[in-house]
Amino acid sequence: MKVVYPVPNRCINCHLCEVACITEHSKSKNPIGAYSIEGLCFNWEWTKKYADPAEAKAAARSVSSARCKVSIDNANFASSMCRHCEIPDCMLACKNGALYKDSSGRTLVDEEKCVGCWMCVMACRFGVITRNVERQNVPDVPSNGINHHCDLCPNRSTPACVAVCPTQALVYEDRLREHDEMETPK
Amino acid sequence: MQETINTTVLSERDYFEEPDRQGLGIRSLKKGQYFFSLPQYCVERNDANCIRCLVCVRQCTWDSTYYDPDRNVVYNRHENCVNCRRCEAMCPTQCIQIKKWGSGFRENYHWNPKQMISVSKQADTGGVLLTGCGNDLHYETYFDRMVIDASQVTNPSIDPLREPMELRTFIGRKPEKFDPEKASSISTQDCPNYVCEIPLIFAPMSFGSISYNFQEGLARAASEMGTYFNTGEGGLHPNFHQYSKRAIVQVASGRFGVSSSYLKNSAAVEIKCGQGAKPGIGGHLPGEKVTGEISRTRMIPEGSDAISPAPQHDIYSIEDLRLLIYALKEATEYTVPISVKIAAVHNVAAIASGIIRAGADIVVLDGFRGGTGAAPTVIRDHVGIPVEVAIAQVDQRLREEGIRHQGSIIAAGGIRSSADVVKAIALGADACYVGTAALIAVGCTLCQQCHRGKCAWGITTNRADLLPRLPSDVAAERLKNLLCAWSHEIKEMLGLMGLNSIESLRGNRLKLRGVGMNSEELNVLGIKQAGV
Repeated sequence: MKVVYPVPNRCINCHLCEVACITEHSKSKNPIGAYSIEGLCFNWEWTKKYADPAEAKAAARSVSSARCKVSIDNANFASSMCRHCEIPDCMLACKNGALYKDSSGRTLVDEEKCVGCWMCVMACRFGVITRNVERQNVPDVPSNGINHHCDLCPNRSTPACVAVCPTQALVYEDRLREHDEMETPK
Repeated sequence: MQETINTTVLSERDYFEEPDRQGLGIRSLKKGQYFFSLPQYCVERNDANCIRCLVCVRQCTWDSTYYDPDRNVVYNRHENCVNCRRCEAMCPTQCIQIKKWGSGFRENYHWNPKQMISVSKQADTGGVLLTGCGNDLHYETYFDRMVIDASQVTNPSIDPLREPMELRTFIGRKPEKFDPEKASSISTQDCPNYVCEIPLIFAPMSFGSISYNFQEGLARAASEMGTYFNTGEGGLHPNFHQYSKRAIVQVASGRFGVSSSYLKNSAAVEIKCGQGAKPGIGGHLPGEKVTGEISRTRMIPEGSDAISPAPQHDIYSIEDLRLLIYALKEATEYTVPISVKIAAVHNVAAIASGIIRAGADIVVLDGFRGGTGAAPTVIRDHVGIPVEVAIAQVDQRLREEGIRHQGSIIAAGGIRSSADVVKAIALGADACYVGTAALIAVGCTLCQQCHRGKCAWGITTNRADLLPRLPSDVAAERLKNLLCAWSHEIKEMLGLMGLNSIESLRGNRLKLRGVGMNSEELNVLGIKQAGV
């Protein structure tokens, strides 16, 4: 199936993929509306309870409502998101059966069933599942939030991140997984 | 490529944290560097539309934009802004606008702010001020005062969409006479030429001054469009050897990267005697830009300034030049033409005549609008002459001496459009070098900071984290489009003049008329007043 792959040495660390992702998954479909009115961007206020700035940053990133995230390793950047594995580790690890494969092969989350135990976050070999604390699955019940990962933009032919990337650092294509060197983490 | 370049790279924290300014929360004024803290541009951010996505913070390479997480506001250090407009281009909500700083100095006809800031910077540093790009002062551009003829009624114009139009140009020395005995197998043994499908060649831009990706883009665009790129004085990176038959390789006074395989595997060898942006001085690649790959290609230590000598140390006369030309001809076994590049200066016609008589097959005239990766500002702005008059004078002189066929003339320095190309060829050039236009094609905004090696557009930098900003295939695609568009426009203009070949335009000054020039200027350019 077609999923989004990063192209090595192409990413320029602009994070426009994250802006596009948040915008696409917002109600207003407009970056200003999504960030300023709906408040979908991670909020720096939220990180203030951490004394260590590095920890605060890590916390801020873990609640970013973008489903892709740009990782930085020295001068190499890459945006990563869910690969929708054939046999997803996250799905096997989920104790509630909240994760499932749909007919097109996408790995999706049943928001009603997710309880926020984070076994999927532990199991994911690409580290692309984050916590969505903005969206409480059951109102009025304290929760850690729910599983949050790439859904390949169901309302678009090409995912928003691929369409917006200024240097074509993301490609939306069907690859033979066993020949894909990016597939197995080093 | 990525692994081998050693650079200081900012960690993610550095993008967000304001660097410690001697522990002060305010701008520090060291030793009275007042002018440094006077901004020239103002980054105006419409805060209602700013979504704090921090794209601008990450894209700014000039330390001009930073984010304060405590107040959740993006701030600017306006004095660092160079108006490269990268943040403006990348902002997803278009909330950034860069403006000229509102307050200036008290009006003064004699002292402009640029000169005052230069004086202050020199008082701060005691050094020669460097800059990039071409001469930006308001000298008259003769291209803008020449107009092109068109066919009406009495002579038919030609439609390039329906009739063949020839842009192919042979660059190099032409045989003295046509020998019918050898007509069946025309030999170019004595007169090697290189064949350009279009009269546009990429100007010398060295690897080091420009990025690896951009040079690869130039090489690929040149290969696919049937034209050539010029290595500049920086040598040819081993990865580009596959494009070497499309490379005009330079032998400059520093001799960077020159080896026998470099010379032999080329389309032409160019002896660089001068550069339009800095006539009379050598090339200068600031040490900041000499990273691993560049040091290996140029064969110089990493981090050292690559300053080539002002003269070629073995050339002090036309006779010496002849020795070098023939040394290179011997080295290349007479298979490639030898070109000599000079800056357009006073008496250029006599110099060019000497160069052709010394055995050069091509003479390149680089006008004072020509760009550079780094040159002293004062030299860039005040030395040299316009390329238009240089072409006209050289072409005229070579014709008068009966040696015009012995060498081709290439015009460089300040070619901005296909109209400039047509005018330069009508004045007597065979082809044009395109440098600054190629840079603009891939995103350059002429912010003139090439010498700092931090180009936010990824063009004139080799910092590993900035390289991906200009991928080579994007560069190649855009450059190809530029050449394609210009060649179509040149064909249209040839057609409307009633010509069907670029050869018929060369030196055809009757196709040009001057507007608003005095008789002396018209005389020097060898063209008539409009209306006559």
